[in-house]
Amino acid sequence: MEKPRVVVTGLGAVTPIGLNAEDFWTSLTSGKSGIGHITHFDVSNFPIKVAAEIPGDFDPTHYMHPKMVDRTARAVHLAIPALKEALASSRLDMDKEQVERVGVVTATLVETAYLIKGKELLEKHGARRADPLFITKSSPSALAMQIGMITGARGPNTYVDSLCASGTDAMGAALNFMRLGYTDVMIVAGSDASLDPTTLAGMNILGALSRSSDPTTACRPFDLNRNGFVYGEAAGVVILETYEHAKKRNAPIIAEFGGAGWSFDAYDSTAPYAETQAIAMSVALRDAGIKPEDLDYINAHGTSTKLNDVCETKAVKILLGEEKAHKTPISSNKSMLGHSITATGLIEAIASILTVSRGILPPTINYATPAPACDLAYVPNKASKVEINNCLSNGFGLGGENCCIVFKRFAD
Amino acid sequence: MPTEDTIKDIVVKIIHCDRELLTSDSTFKELEADSLDLVQILVALEDEFNIEIPEEDAQGLTTFGGFVDYVNNKVAEKS
Repeated sequence: MEKPRVVVTGLGAVTPIGLNAEDFWTSLTSGKSGIGHITHFDVSNFPIKVAAEIPGDFDPTHYMHPKMVDRTARAVHLAIPALKEALASSRLDMDKEQVERVGVVTATLVETAYLIKGKELLEKHGARRADPLFITKSSPSALAMQIGMITGARGPNTYVDSLCASGTDAMGAALNFMRLGYTDVMIVAGSDASLDPTTLAGMNILGALSRSSDPTTACRPFDLNRNGFVYGEAAGVVILETYEHAKKRNAPIIAEFGGAGWSFDAYDSTAPYAETQAIAMSVALRDAGIKPEDLDYINAHGTSTKLNDVCETKAVKILLGEEKAHKTPISSNKSMLGHSITATGLIEAIASILTVSRGILPPTINYATPAPACDLAYVPNKASKVEINNCLSNGFGLGGENCCIVFKRFAD
Repeated sequence: MPTEDTIKDIVVKIIHCDRELLTSDSTFKELEADSLDLVQILVALEDEFNIEIPEEDAQGLTTFGGFVDYVNNKVAEKS
């Protein structure tokens, strides 16, 4: 079966380093960090001190009806401006679309604060005094549902969950809906606002988080002195269309979505595994019709944990061979954005799309001391301008869920 | 009428409509309140007035005035 070409026609982002895709890209390519001291809750007796938060002046009522703000969780609040930006930039007019051919796939994480509040209410007042908004606020399907309600998209409406790979996975799932002929247009969203004490404490006990109190150096992917990842929050939305559909309506094509690949470690509950990561990368390249020697750049998962960065480096070497691996630039957006868990893959997809479209590689910041086991070309500290045709973006879930996607510079 | 004012406060807080729109004849459909709004309003009224509104009673309440009368009767029954 001939696979239909799929292209990207719209982008929207709400991130700690920019509340729209253009500001995000400018910050990302100038090495601006969004990591700071945690302000969302009191950390005086908490082991984790820094995170990448959306700036405190973000006000969802600027973008949504106050009733919808009341009804939805913060992850939805963050995603709606990104959705509006993506739709506007794609010039998609839903009044002219066959709405059942427009679908939605999302990636998001339940915010534990709502679960805790729901349980407290139940224990205090009994079942008749449950919060009527408990389900709409706590269900991970709420984001896809809200996007469907706002846009009127009546095609497939669902979400994926593979923890840290979710955003990348959502992109791959959306690609498949289009390739299988279900839809002409997909709205893909990733939004994560799970930056709360319960979730952070859970990640901390696994030893995954940086306990540094200095936001300027806490996150340093691939550096010898890296000591864990920094939690973040963010939202991103990508509009995908079949090439034919985009051409027909003269849409602004930003890049081509080449392919996706998946694998699962079946190895350890929290530790990564290079061989299976390399399989996901290899399947993605094959799916995109790209030979390893033609890969120009990798947008790394690059979490800044001791284990990930060594393992990802090893996986890239398995994929490309030592010589090509050393020559292929690879950088970590998380050095500036922290790790927004289920949204990070979507944000890194946006960065990858803009990378192939504009020919600029975002840097890995805070890179000071090379580590013996991390010896690739990490685009240290300064962006680099290059001609680029093919980019691979890696997403690796904590439990071993791997998804990698490929973007190509668009050419008719 | 303190009860009506309190119910107005609750409805405005939940559906974010103009207070002036709440007349005894205004229907929740006209106020663009959906099923989730109505559940929220019912729970808030039960909480505020310490009453129970059975689901079968709630289904018959379609106007703002209907809610006010119903709550007043329930409160009177209780005292």
